[in-house]
Amino acid sequence: MKKKRRTLGKALMILMIAFFYLPILYMIIFSFNDGKSLTSFTGFSLRWYQHMLESQDMMTALYTTFSIAILATIVATVVGTVAAIGLSSSRKVIRNIMEQVNNLPMMNPEIVTAIGFMLLFITFKVEKGYVTMLLAHIAFCIPYVMLSVMPKIRSLDPNLADAAMDLGATPFKALTKVIVPQITPGIVSGALIAFTMSVDDFIISYFVTGSGVKNLSIVVYTMSKRVNPSINAVSTLVVVIITIVLLVINLAPVIAEKRVKKGGAVKRKRWVPAVAVCCVLVVAVAALQRGGITGKDRPFEGQTLHIYNWGEYTGENIIGDFEEETGATVVMENFDSNEQMYIKVANGEAYDILVPSDYMIQRLIEEDYLQKLDKSKLDCFDKLSDAVLGLPYDPNNDYSVPYFWGTVGIVYDKTKVDIEDLEREGYNIFLDQKYRGDVYLYDSERDSFMMALKALGYSMNTENEAELNEAYEWLVQCVETMDTEIVTDEIIDNMAQGRKALGLIYSGDASYVMAENEDMGYFMPETGTNLWSDAMVIPKNAKNPDLAHAFINYASDYDGAYDNSSYVGYTSANQEVMDDLSGEGGDYEGINAYIPRTGNENDEVFEYNADTKKIISDLWSRVKIAASNAG
Amino acid sequence: MKRFSKLAVPYIIWAALMLVLPMALIAMYSVMEPGNSIISFSLTLDHYIKFFTDPDFLLILWRSLLIAIKTTIICLILGYPAAYFIARSSEKVQNILILCITIPMWINMLVRTYAWIGLLSEGGIIQRILGIFGLGDVELLYTEGSVLLGMVYNFLPFMILQIQTSLSKMDHSLLEASADLGASPAQTFRRVTLPLSLPGVINGITLVFLPAVSSFFIPKLLGGGQYFLIGNMIENQFITVGEWNFGSAISMIMAVIMMLLMMLVRKIETRNQGGKGAKA
Repeated sequence: MKKKRRTLGKALMILMIAFFYLPILYMIIFSFNDGKSLTSFTGFSLRWYQHMLESQDMMTALYTTFSIAILATIVATVVGTVAAIGLSSSRKVIRNIMEQVNNLPMMNPEIVTAIGFMLLFITFKVEKGYVTMLLAHIAFCIPYVMLSVMPKIRSLDPNLADAAMDLGATPFKALTKVIVPQITPGIVSGALIAFTMSVDDFIISYFVTGSGVKNLSIVVYTMSKRVNPSINAVSTLVVVIITIVLLVINLAPVIAEKRVKKGGAVKRKRWVPAVAVCCVLVVAVAALQRGGITGKDRPFEGQTLHIYNWGEYTGENIIGDFEEETGATVVMENFDSNEQMYIKVANGEAYDILVPSDYMIQRLIEEDYLQKLDKSKLDCFDKLSDAVLGLPYDPNNDYSVPYFWGTVGIVYDKTKVDIEDLEREGYNIFLDQKYRGDVYLYDSERDSFMMALKALGYSMNTENEAELNEAYEWLVQCVETMDTEIVTDEIIDNMAQGRKALGLIYSGDASYVMAENEDMGYFMPETGTNLWSDAMVIPKNAKNPDLAHAFINYASDYDGAYDNSSYVGYTSANQEVMDDLSGEGGDYEGINAYIPRTGNENDEVFEYNADTKKIISDLWSRVKIAASNAG
Repeated sequence: MKRFSKLAVPYIIWAALMLVLPMALIAMYSVMEPGNSIISFSLTLDHYIKFFTDPDFLLILWRSLLIAIKTTIICLILGYPAAYFIARSSEKVQNILILCITIPMWINMLVRTYAWIGLLSEGGIIQRILGIFGLGDVELLYTEGSVLLGMVYNFLPFMILQIQTSLSKMDHSLLEASADLGASPAQTFRRVTLPLSLPGVINGITLVFLPAVSSFFIPKLLGGGQYFLIGNMIENQFITVGEWNFGSAISMIMAVIMMLLMMLVRKIETRNQGGKGAKA
């Protein structure tokens, strides 16, 4: 009977371990995938490892994650232990109050703690970055250390320290020689908890970071869903590091034991090798990360350029090449919506270059956040396509230099969707029951409303509330009757794998999808679409406008623009690059999505209107709630 | 030991600054008019009224609590037997098993969650396996089920480790004594093991429920854009909408609800212990 229960337990345990390790195994396998997909394995390759090593972003994130975890663990362990010893000899009232205070980060949802830290730093104007992240980590780690040290102290004989001191020990000696050794197990497990919490933390780090400081979690999150498989490679590297550390920890005592066999009792200080290994690793990663070549006579040697750009929106080499050529260091931060970028800028964070979209540029100009470009420093305008210059949001390009541009349209599976349906129905195909359960909507309030308004024959810049409400009804009907999925960038991979028949998509993403899967097509309804562009602008509070101008030139020039466009798949503003990539032998030859439509009078450029935007945001969140209630 | 009490002073100051002050700031922002500075501001309860009068917001809150409760129950059902098994193993096996459960936590939580997208997606491995049994059409990703799975996956280790800690502290002679006195294994479990492991269970529930109720990246990654929880709402207010005062108000509401729930749980715990004392 008992045996039977053990077997059952064993089976449960094995299943559970399998459950825990299945995703990790999956991640390791896909770090060797040749393709960019996260779901179909196309062949063995080491390209993501190479990409990881070349990507400064990732190596820095790895370094940040572990250096913060180690520093926070050390500080939290020391402070927490000292405070626990102090508190245990304090008056009961103080002890109880402090217990409640320590409960604050532990008994509150993490997001609340995170927001508390964020408001603290913002209210007292502490510049967010590495230091704030470290402080926050220390702050939430200490209570965990104290929690595991306290019970050990409580079980100590209170007379122990007094006895030591009566025998002539100084208080310090009594502490270090008598008390600490007695509570070591508690300290070690506290440190372990602190380290685990810190390494794995996302929410708190996400809210308190700034100035381009990112740990691995933030890198993954801001990649949004435009997956870059090198993150799998980084994680595999972490697995390897952990395995090595564990082996060392577990083997070192064995080896040491063998050596000192004659020496009698062996102290098993398990954490000593662990700390040593961690330190070595941090130094190694740091060296790897800072091991660039330092040449001289470069125009911007030692300066730093802060760029705030969309996730996965630059080529593989452009940043490295630019750094090499100018001697500057580029710090890149990523956002996944214009609004997210706007809030940071409005809160006074300083960047040298932003890459917002059309309507957001208009807003930033109107609200006086941008500086005029110094056109004497720019040599790029005549290289750019005429169609993307002088657009309504910035008629003379006084503030902005286009980066990518394109349209919004419908990506469809030619084998499942009848092109005649598309031509006849346009966007109304998203209400066609024939395709029920087979459509993706895109989680963008502007473009969803664009689609609905265009389907109804209105302008996408309408300020008429009745028309907006009609569009809202259209969208609600769509989510309630069509069994839709509202996605963001995962649409790219999913459509490339042919998982659904239809989806609303940005032309640049469609280019990528079509290059991966020839069954896919891109269609722009005659009723019009959003002719969008993302452009580089320099905020008023930029610290290094000269360098920013240099980068704008570099990114608009053939090499930089080619690297960007061929890697990301979005249409380059550089006319020659666009022609080459879409022409014979180019990466996007024969792909209609790559060349934005010009000349359709129904196509529009988004304009910013604060009131309309608010209405649309509100209505869109209601559409999403309707969708989640329908599902 | 009294002479060591001074050692606590620096930490008390630190805690006041880094733990108490932030909460006070959230409370302050939550009753401020938007755009006010912290020095000159006028009070308002609009943000709270806005939240409690909108059925959609309340629905989101309700759904978040519900999924957190489901997650906690599943973690308890899976976690308890696992913890029990670990605690009854030999010390060597215990250490290995605990390590096995801890290691995944050192690999980034988001990356692990990402991997589930690949595993669950249409045409992914799990669906193909289900296909063998004729269940190939079942939608796995972007459902409540996938969000639940993601939460259980991420938070189950906390439950196991907490329960295991309290079970392994248990004095094994108690079990023998109970058996000697004629109790059946089931009785021993119910009368001895379970009450003694209760502190661990309570800690486990706390450690699972809290992150589950406020998580925003698990629903975002595994639930798709249409799966919106209270954590997403708070994130939205701070990151994309920029209404910090409203965001602070939602955070406060969350904090208060959590506090009440935790007090309730603690009360159950103390009552349970009190009952035990009375019987003895």
